[in-house]
Amino acid sequence: MKSPALIFLGAFLVNNIVLMRFLGLCPFFGVSSTVETATGMGMAVIFVMTLAAWITWVVFNAVLLPLNLVFLRTAVFILTIASLVQLVEMFLKKSYRALYNALGIYLPLITTNCAILGVTFLNIDNKFSFIDGTVFAIGTGVGFTLVIITFAAIRERLDLAPINPSLRGYPISFIAASLMALAFLGFSGLFGLT
Amino acid sequence: MTSIRQMIITLFIVAVTCAVVLSFVYAFTEPRIAETQAQLTLSGLEEVITAYEYKKIIPDTLWQAVDSSGENVGVVFRVFPQGYAGPIPITVGLDNNGKITGIRVASAAEGLAETPGLGAKITQPGFTEQFKGMTAADVALEQEGGSIEAITAATISSRAVASGVKKGIEMYGACLIPSCDPHMVFAEAERFVEVIKDTLWKAVRGADTLGIVFVGVVEGYLDDIKFMVGYNMEKIITGVAILHSQETEGIGEVIRDGEFLDKFRSGIPEAVSGATISTKALINGVTSGLERFKEYVE
Amino acid sequence: MSRLSIFTRGLIKDNAVFVLMIGLCPALATSSTVRDGFGMGLAATFVVVCSNLLISILRKNIPNEVRIPIFILIISTFVTIIDYMMQAFQPELYRALGVFVPLIVVNCMILGRAEAFASKRSVLDSVLDGLGTGLGFTLALTIMGTIREILGNGTFLGMTVFGEAFKNSPVIFMIMSPGAFLVIGILKALINKYVKKEL
Repeated sequence: MKSPALIFLGAFLVNNIVLMRFLGLCPFFGVSSTVETATGMGMAVIFVMTLAAWITWVVFNAVLLPLNLVFLRTAVFILTIASLVQLVEMFLKKSYRALYNALGIYLPLITTNCAILGVTFLNIDNKFSFIDGTVFAIGTGVGFTLVIITFAAIRERLDLAPINPSLRGYPISFIAASLMALAFLGFSGLFGLT
Repeated sequence: MTSIRQMIITLFIVAVTCAVVLSFVYAFTEPRIAETQAQLTLSGLEEVITAYEYKKIIPDTLWQAVDSSGENVGVVFRVFPQGYAGPIPITVGLDNNGKITGIRVASAAEGLAETPGLGAKITQPGFTEQFKGMTAADVALEQEGGSIEAITAATISSRAVASGVKKGIEMYGACLIPSCDPHMVFAEAERFVEVIKDTLWKAVRGADTLGIVFVGVVEGYLDDIKFMVGYNMEKIITGVAILHSQETEGIGEVIRDGEFLDKFRSGIPEAVSGATISTKALINGVTSGLERFKEYVE
Repeated sequence: MSRLSIFTRGLIKDNAVFVLMIGLCPALATSSTVRDGFGMGLAATFVVVCSNLLISILRKNIPNEVRIPIFILIISTFVTIIDYMMQAFQPELYRALGVFVPLIVVNCMILGRAEAFASKRSVLDSVLDGLGTGLGFTLALTIMGTIREILGNGTFLGMTVFGEAFKNSPVIFMIMSPGAFLVIGILKALINKYVKKEL
């Protein structure tokens, strides 16, 4: 069994959710035009990802598994996450206005973020315990935040650079992401993690 | 505007229909999935050793290869040594002389994490064929005085395969003696470390040594009796198994009897009348074996 | 809009990956070989065609306020069906695609077609639209898979392409994650330069 520290580092750097696992690319390209929005999105993802990991772990291990309903996993998880996001949004709006102002606009976007659902599936596939699953979700969320903020910083510079018009926008962003992925490839094999 | 009631009813009907449809799909595909999985594992075993049947000894780890007449032809085991980017799943076949009949490294699609095009080349026949015919002593890379040529620029992966195969043979090689598995006599152990070649193993779980397993031979009534004994730190026999015996049918064969063998767990039993020679031989063998190896459990 | 243009819209003009830039996660993750890309594309096509068909049939009975949860339920049912079918009959492909098979459910392309097209149009049109969208996705993944497998592994569908010498030392990083970003970046730049104006 891997120690929680290794699970965290694996999810954070070695198997970075965006650059190595290709999950959460939509917000990665869509909400990374400025460092400020990227930070907001990153925080919202860490928050929701951890909650989603908790709730789906409980639903799977306490409901689906004992009732032998594992085949409903996909449907139940996506609906659980969608309702969770709705509830969190309503709750923040009422009780934590400041937090809502900071994260609120990103929450609806998160429902279709495949990184959240992906992490909950990976938790189940890896047969993580509750603690390991939590650590994995936080590590993944922090990894997402790290790369989206870095990427936003790169894109802010790219906007000012003289670039061939065909490459403007998406193409140069992809190429920048490619170089980032190449750099992250350097982490592979670190601590023998995959 | 639809009423709340209608909304809930529609949602409920859709959800129930989906669940029912999926339960049918699940019932239909579940046996197929299990069968496909078993088939995949089996075809992996067939690649490394030809046999009529593979008897499972330790699930997903160790199989006994048996030919069509029921004779043991060797064993197949799987090991997962740590490579450059993660554990490398390897299947190894061994014949009865402890020679490798073939090895197979799982592909990326089956969970190999080594760098594609570099470390992942350990799956190619050019590398794996080199192991054929080797015994545990021969398995070493050229750099370490052996004859296995490592993959260029992937020494870590190549070395991991070599050492994994070598350790695997040391761990499971004992099972070559027909129908033997140290777990039969020492169920709690996770793995066995050889102390005296083909004779004595330490039973290990995690970092703890739980006891020993040894193999002995005594002269029986008709032929030699080869047996295996597990003995734990509390000085209790955890199990005795007969690896080889050709005693008289119906009489001396009592030593193969589970009931008789189980008696060893609560101390050395009395000889069985009618099969005195065979049972006495075994009892003496076990006693002298314990005498000889008892220092290892101290 | 003619039937033909309904079909070609999703296939080429509004190609999910190359033009609309949605469904990027599976497009990048599963296009390291032709087989994986094509397999993923067909799986998504199955889901989008079936969900479009069913949603179009039921469109008059689905209350507007709860349409999104119902769409998600229908889509996830078809995703689970293809998930189990693939496990049973294509286990090697399933292992290669991994978590991306159940994740078809969050492919915005599919929910997008349900919401924008199938919930409003006739059954035949919806099926054609789903077929065009799905095959357009398949086309994109197959193109990327072809480029990446040939350059990164020296093979096409497992067959050696540029001879053994190249196969033994190909441009490895093309089948790894940086290669995926690079290939789609360059393809998108080429589309911007040569194709987009004519559509």
